[in-house]
Amino acid sequence: MSRLIVIALRMLIWLLLSADPELLNVAIGLAVSLALPLPRRVRALSPGQFWRALGESVTALPQAYSQAARLLLHRRLEESVVHDEPARVGGRASSVLVFLDVFRITLTPFTIALGLEGGGRRYRVHELVFEEKER
Amino acid sequence: MSLLVFGMVLALLLPILVVCRRTDVWHRLAAFASVSTKVAMVMLVVSVVRDDWMVGLVGVIVLSVGNGAVMLLANLLQGVEG
Amino acid sequence: MSGALLADAPGVLAALAQGASAVLLGLGLLFWFAGSWPLLGRASYLTKLHYLGISDTLGSALMLLGLLLRFQREWPLLVLALLSLVVWNTIFGYVLAACSQPRRRP
Repeated sequence: MSRLIVIALRMLIWLLLSADPELLNVAIGLAVSLALPLPRRVRALSPGQFWRALGESVTALPQAYSQAARLLLHRRLEESVVHDEPARVGGRASSVLVFLDVFRITLTPFTIALGLEGGGRRYRVHELVFEEKER
Repeated sequence: MSLLVFGMVLALLLPILVVCRRTDVWHRLAAFASVSTKVAMVMLVVSVVRDDWMVGLVGVIVLSVGNGAVMLLANLLQGVEG
Repeated sequence: MSGALLADAPGVLAALAQGASAVLLGLGLLFWFAGSWPLLGRASYLTKLHYLGISDTLGSALMLLGLLLRFQREWPLLVLALLSLVVWNTIFGYVLAACSQPRRRP
């Protein structure tokens, strides 16, 4: 599954960059994306997990815009905290899943992921909190 | 559209001003990253307005590779400091 | 009457797209200014990174959407720019934030 995603990503970039849907061009892109070296060892990733994580990342986009609007309207905040958020997939998660999780956390303007801790069991997250909300 | 480009260049001046002041190296790095993204965006807008595919291609490449360079610098800096 | 309306529909749609793209471009520029302004202040590094995420990722994405509505001919380039901008810039903010933390000894 991870390898399939990598190949699909390469094809997408090739097709958008060349913008030429002819058969020969597509064949060249496919050959190149298959010929480039693939990661040798990947952790198992089920399609269900992947689609759920991707869906959450996509739904984070409108959330990010609403949070950005709130952040820009409220000028008074400045209460930054660092806390831990448990990763849903404990232990040995696939790198694709970790990537999507970090993407989802960092995309929203209130939170930034600071790293993975405890052997991949939880994320350190830096978060902005309104002062009004605290009191 | 020229008004848009004008406004973008004006916004581009803000991080450049930050870089020119004496600040912490991390703040400077963040400002440089902002400059990189903004310059690439200005490039894309100009290319689209002038209907020039090649300049747009350069803009896309700058958008991805320029940030990669700053990323490497950040990693290096962490190694030096830590 | 309705026939005339239907014949006019592409023009109306084009005008609508023009207006929407102008709104999107203006909003993107506003995000740029609002997100870059805190860089000048004395906020902490991570707070500035939050604002930079707004300005560079979300504002630029809005601008690219506006351009996409206006110039359909170059859509592959713009879609590629949109994808690489959102993904790459977000991960970039994460890398800057994570690298500024002192490395932890296990």
